[in-house]
Amino acid sequence: MATISAISATFGASLKPCFKNNKVTGGTSTTLKMVRAGWAKNVFPTLRTSRFNVCCAAKPETVQKVCEIVKKQLALSDETELTPESKFAALGADSLDTVEIVMGLEEEFGISVEEESSQNITTVQEAADLIEKLVQKKP
Amino acid sequence: MLLRRIRNCFMNIRYFQRNLSAASSPLVPVPLPSRMETHLWYILPNEVKSETLLNQYLELLSPCEKENVCRMRGYQLQKRALLARALVRTTIARYQTKCPVHPRSLKFKKNIYGKPEVEWEDVDDRQLPPLHFNISHTSSLIACGVTVNSPIGIDVEEKQRKLKNNVLAFARRYFSPYEVELLTAISDPEIQRQEFIKLWTLKEAYVKALGRGFSAVPFKTFTIWFRTAMEGEIRLPGLGDSEALDIVVDSFNDHEKLTNNWQFVLLDLAGSHYAAICIEKDRTTGGEGTLPMKFTVRRTIPYVEDECVPGVVAIGGLT
Repeated sequence: MATISAISATFGASLKPCFKNNKVTGGTSTTLKMVRAGWAKNVFPTLRTSRFNVCCAAKPETVQKVCEIVKKQLALSDETELTPESKFAALGADSLDTVEIVMGLEEEFGISVEEESSQNITTVQEAADLIEKLVQKKP
Repeated sequence: MLLRRIRNCFMNIRYFQRNLSAASSPLVPVPLPSRMETHLWYILPNEVKSETLLNQYLELLSPCEKENVCRMRGYQLQKRALLARALVRTTIARYQTKCPVHPRSLKFKKNIYGKPEVEWEDVDDRQLPPLHFNISHTSSLIACGVTVNSPIGIDVEEKQRKLKNNVLAFARRYFSPYEVELLTAISDPEIQRQEFIKLWTLKEAYVKALGRGFSAVPFKTFTIWFRTAMEGEIRLPGLGDSEALDIVVDSFNDHEKLTNNWQFVLLDLAGSHYAAICIEKDRTTGGEGTLPMKFTVRRTIPYVEDECVPGVVAIGGLT
């Protein structure tokens, strides 16, 4: 769909420059100039640690696994583009599909999802975030 | 092409032309269901092929509903979402016989738990008792149940639906222990799968009738039984027994015996689907007796044809 492709393109476009500027080794000439300018010396270490802190959302591997399970449950083709924002209902999932998806996630990640929480899982991202939360709680 | 129109609708509402086809007929009005009667309307997406007709349905939807249709991924899902909204709007409009209402002018809201309802203040005919409705759909059938004065929940599933998970593993995870026991006792895997689907539709219909959201009434916390009407023996409907079976629900948290308030019927619909209907019992008859549930089934293509479907088999539930 035109709308969703447009969103994905924007998402991708905004990521690339961000990652490029954060590279320290083998950086672009722009980066080296910033280091030489002096103020970046303190900036880069801060940027690197802050990147880890910001990343309490789900890992990309988790999101990827969720997408695989959703695609399998809903019998979507490999070409179907899933983004973290993809809503299960928009992909054709009914309540039985959603419950089967949750069960698949429980088996894959070795977690147990409460009924109250499973009702709030409506997108790939929400599923992945809940998984991370439950996996971290495991003994 | 419909897909292009749906994309455009999101960006430019002025694109819509008021182009009601001269070939279609008006909506046939229908008298209200009586107490303890459910009207079940269904549409088969495969029977709706005309782009003109689909465009006509699209014009009935609110801007918000059109957006939701646009968000569905792919033509089939968009068509299904469109037909579901068109079915609800046209069905409810049919009952406004005293003061006709255009399907487009109906307004909907959600109760505090998210269950959709008609917003009646905006409809001119305030003398009409409020209709309750509930919808359910599969890829090949969309159904809308309507009652007067009784909350209703319905669920439809294709009879041939296969789970991706193992049936018993799924039941152990989500159903009550008694239901698991009953399913485990069935040795034939195909019958076991069918009985599972029947239980699923009944449980869904119950939760939807309650209208408090799925997390308020987890599936594990209640059991649905099929019981012989006379002796109250527990049976499963699929086991070749021709005796009428009542369907009852028992809840583990049910201190006020509220589960006695609900009545069920399970139908074989269009030969391809199980349809479960759950409505609140009518207490006004007094005494211990309960009016049996009546139902009328109609297959429809709004503005084209309506057909009352006779002889629909009730697999369970006293009627």
